[in-house]
Amino acid sequence: MSRFFVLTLNGVTQGAIYAAMALALVMIWRATKVINFAQGAMAMFTTYLAVFAIEHGTPYWVGFLVALVSGLLLGAIVERVIVRPVESAPALNVVILTLGLLLFLEALAPMAFGGQIRSFPPAFSIVGLRLGTSQVPFSPFDLFTLGSVVAVMLLLLVLFQKTDLGLRMRASAFNPEVSRLLGIRVGRMLTLGWALASLVGALAGVLIAPSLLLYPTFMDDVLVFGFTGAVLGGLDSAVGAVVGGLLMGFALTYVGGYFGSDLETVGALVILIAVLMVRPSGLFSVQRVRQV
Amino acid sequence: MLEVIDLTVAYGPVVALHAVSLTVPDGSMTAVLGANGAGKTTLVRTISGLTRPRGGSVRLDGRDITRLAPEEIARLGVAHVPQGQGVLAELTVDENLRLGGLWRRDPKGQRGALAEAYDLFPPLANRRHVAAFSLSGGERQMLSLGRALVARARVLLLDEPSLGLARLVLVQIMARLRTLVTERGLTVLLIEQNAKSALSVADEGIVLHLGKVVARGRAQQLLGEERLRHAYLGF
Repeated sequence: MSRFFVLTLNGVTQGAIYAAMALALVMIWRATKVINFAQGAMAMFTTYLAVFAIEHGTPYWVGFLVALVSGLLLGAIVERVIVRPVESAPALNVVILTLGLLLFLEALAPMAFGGQIRSFPPAFSIVGLRLGTSQVPFSPFDLFTLGSVVAVMLLLLVLFQKTDLGLRMRASAFNPEVSRLLGIRVGRMLTLGWALASLVGALAGVLIAPSLLLYPTFMDDVLVFGFTGAVLGGLDSAVGAVVGGLLMGFALTYVGGYFGSDLETVGALVILIAVLMVRPSGLFSVQRVRQV
Repeated sequence: MLEVIDLTVAYGPVVALHAVSLTVPDGSMTAVLGANGAGKTTLVRTISGLTRPRGGSVRLDGRDITRLAPEEIARLGVAHVPQGQGVLAELTVDENLRLGGLWRRDPKGQRGALAEAYDLFPPLANRRHVAAFSLSGGERQMLSLGRALVARARVLLLDEPSLGLARLVLVQIMARLRTLVTERGLTVLLIEQNAKSALSVADEGIVLHLGKVVARGRAQQLLGEERLRHAYLGF
């Protein structure tokens, strides 16, 4: 089987996870103009909660649900307790707070769950599917990963584009003051935005944990690659985040596959620099000249 | 009925409004006039809850709304149409209009009000699915006004609706506004620099100068006072 084909299949699964992380970052950026550097750590923590449930005898799917629901709650709590009080302070304050939260969660996880490296069970077999007589390097779990990321993205798309709630959330993100004048409870919309973003991050966590092993900093790379994907896509665009995340997945597996895995991170950096030199505001950002 | 009682607002050491009082009875229109920096915008921002006053109060039908959040004041039926920047440029015309009445949770009434707004402002109907940033100044103003109608506001706070409007469009909008006041009992506080056009549709007028009320009276009467016109209104 051609190497390119193998790498492409790996790339799309990896990319789906980076896309989810990128989307989580972009959702928060759009709603509150903050890069949530704790996004990865929050996903790490919810993945620990999931593995905690599974180790205590619940089925995989209960653990999966625990991750998503705790992601939702954690996002809401972080917005209410950490972000809201410094809402009107300079953006840098919030960024520093998210960095603080990152350190806090990465210190709390080993205290709460033990410091040893854990494995995380996949929902489905990770043995490649058989096509006729040959085996392709694409397992049922890869399919599940891809499917659930796509499903969540479609659900978000419907929520934001087709529902009144989504309309209120978009309005709050674009212009909180005018939205409040229209009777929209912007505070609640922001909480919900953080909650949903954190749910998407939590999904990325449970999906990548089986192939990475679980330890307190296991999501750090995913955050960096997801962030790179988000910036590639223009930071302001949900579609851009997804495409950027996928591009990162492909790029990293191609670089790793053809040039050795040591170069993966360097490769990511080179791509980022190259794209930003050609399109400084990212691939999908819309620069609008406002009429006065 | 909208009542403003002894309202004092300050930005740090700068006092923007100095014990301003006014009453707008139901189904009437009061114009607030004055030059730049007179405190007109501060007045509406304080009524709609965006700016916190240092003293005094705002009452709606006798209820004190001074400390309510802007979104709660909006839900009482007060629509503040801010100066120029009132539309959500990233959203379509239709989305902007719908946003006005979402809090009512009344899809049926909402559809009716939406159809009515399109009826009233035909240029909007043609551009329903266009992003609002591509609209002209006049169309944006129509959109802001239409949105207040979709909200079925009882009290309308209009901040400089004439800004950037062609004379003809302004006359049309003012005429429509007048109809809504007379026929539906809409209560309007109209902030204007363009005193002549405002006083020609309003019932009452008050003139602000450096945060203080320097004159008030029937609109027709203010129009006739030459001294006032020269000193504060500039026509």
